[in-house]
Amino acid sequence: MSEVAKAAARPLMENAQSRRPLGLLLVAIPVFLMIWLVVWPAINAISRTIWRPDVDGNVGFDLSSYAFFFSDRYSLDNLAITLWTTLVCAILLLVICLPIALYLRFSRSRLSGYVQALAILPMFVPSIILAFAFIRVLGPNGMVDILFNAVGLPKIRTPYLTPWGPVIGLVWDNIPLTVLILLSGLGSVANQSIEAARDVGANALRVFRHIILPRISNSILVALSFSVLGIFSSFTLPYLLGPASPEMLGPFMQRTLREVQDPIGAMTQAVIAFGFCIVFGLFYVRSVARNQGK
Amino acid sequence: MKRRTFMMSAAGAAAGLALAPRMSFAAKGTIDWYTGSDTNVLDFWANTVKPAFEAANPGIKLNLVDAGDNAGILAIGERAIAAKQTGTDPQADFFEHSDPLLPAGAIDAGVYANMKNAGLSNYSRINPLAIQSEYSLPYRGSQVLLAYDTAKLKPADAPKTWEELVTWIKANPGQFVYNRPDKGGSGGNFVRRAIHEANGRDPNAFTVSNYTQEFGDEALGKAWKLLTDIAPSLYDNGAYSSGNTQSLQLLSQGVVTMIPVWSDQVLQAIDQGVLPPETGLVQLQDLALCGNFSRSIVIENGANRDAALKLADFILSEEIQGAILTELGGFPGVSWDHVSPALREKFAAIIPQSIPTFPSGKWDAAINDGWYRNVAPNVDRKS
Repeated sequence: MSEVAKAAARPLMENAQSRRPLGLLLVAIPVFLMIWLVVWPAINAISRTIWRPDVDGNVGFDLSSYAFFFSDRYSLDNLAITLWTTLVCAILLLVICLPIALYLRFSRSRLSGYVQALAILPMFVPSIILAFAFIRVLGPNGMVDILFNAVGLPKIRTPYLTPWGPVIGLVWDNIPLTVLILLSGLGSVANQSIEAARDVGANALRVFRHIILPRISNSILVALSFSVLGIFSSFTLPYLLGPASPEMLGPFMQRTLREVQDPIGAMTQAVIAFGFCIVFGLFYVRSVARNQGK
Repeated sequence: MKRRTFMMSAAGAAAGLALAPRMSFAAKGTIDWYTGSDTNVLDFWANTVKPAFEAANPGIKLNLVDAGDNAGILAIGERAIAAKQTGTDPQADFFEHSDPLLPAGAIDAGVYANMKNAGLSNYSRINPLAIQSEYSLPYRGSQVLLAYDTAKLKPADAPKTWEELVTWIKANPGQFVYNRPDKGGSGGNFVRRAIHEANGRDPNAFTVSNYTQEFGDEALGKAWKLLTDIAPSLYDNGAYSSGNTQSLQLLSQGVVTMIPVWSDQVLQAIDQGVLPPETGLVQLQDLALCGNFSRSIVIENGANRDAALKLADFILSEEIQGAILTELGGFPGVSWDHVSPALREKFAAIIPQSIPTFPSGKWDAAINDGWYRNVAPNVDRKS
């Protein structure tokens, strides 16, 4: 944040001594909800999976459910496919969204309005609708197959019910958020600095590498950590579009709890998923903290 | 100051909203009804049973709630047990279809009403083969059969035994798909038919209470071998659709030639034009694919227990049992003698001689876990 902004923010706070309790009260509600609905269940899940009764009913420290998860080929395959899907989605999102954001930031044409509307559209499409539309378009004997067939092209193997199904769905679903965050990051790139670089003879690639990229690296980190968190714990798209096995942690957890009727196993999976998400979350918190330190 | 007052009241209102759900009670005279079945069943209740029942019983209303799936029903069942312990209102009166043995201990806790002793005038009409427990009321049945595309497979060549079916699947790779056993009964009962096949085709070998780790591993292990054997010949080298509807979709798009289906769902799909009228239906003759009766449950400690029992009696009436045949495409839960003669004659061909069933309880969890671990993977689908 610049010095000007800081100075502008200050007067609002100055005569606010008497309002402080009210401010705290307003903050208290979301904080209370956070603790009640997020922090407490998380602590509860951790304690119930490591501190539980054994076969004789003696309650004690027990890591066996974690030992099972990490020695079970099937669970590890599910974890691996979740990490693979998350990684591939993150790379694809960056590759797709960065050019769109750059175009929207620097284009002066009328077309850019339509591009923006198209890029934001997935935000308003519920994922269950997206999944069934996907099946109709990219599924077997779907629209793509029919179009290919009409022009004499061979049939492609459909991504439906393969690991690529959820990847395509999740990438499409996460484009708006990523584009919006990148776009706001690009807002901090001043036109003057780009023009100055151009004046001394920098080509487009150099401008991007040395002027734009350093300014938006933070936004990229924020955008990726946001979408990665969502993708890692996604449920609907992997459930409807993915293969029966390996399955992502979202459907796996739900199935372990309800169909296999194993709450401890499901909670263990949840805690492990939670652990991975904390790592992604730390990236976000660190970049925000670094941003505010500036 | 004004803004401050506004903020205070807004915060107060928000806090009040957070507490509000604790203070809702079930309305008197409105039966809270839950189902975990597919939408065709919910539609049948909304369009046929509800209007007829409310007309016959002025003052009683039906509140139809979709609990999502069987596990959703069990969650409500657990709530009823908790409500019984604290002496509060469970806000539930009637389960359209559930297993009285679940959640474990519900009967001992006194949460489910005993149907046999409840004085239902139509109780004696129930098909004795369908009764599994005194605490549930079989009122409709359906069975899984095989549906196929007659354009690609002539009815004369349709497989009639498990062995012929396996031969056909292997001879026509990619033309058969069944859904994941926990995601819908059509695939689930196909898997159970494989378990019967691997264990001497004797449905009586499996009961609700005879699951043990050793017996389960042995009996199911043999079935997993059968299913793994056909996996490479299934749609897309071993893909499994994620529900009954998705299998029907693959058949209707001409992607596969044959799928296992619920009798009621496929009759309705043909009726609505989702599947063409010439869709073929066949049942295995050596041992039929499993079916089951849907059994309703009345909550003993529900606020509207007596009204719910009236509803239970009502759905066994000739009117509703006939509608189950004509509207829902299901089998009646009463003996065929209590179905109107005209309907009995019309449906003579599909009256099943027997409906093999498979117990739920611990077997369910074992099948759901075992299938995912042993059958779903182990296939190199890229080849």
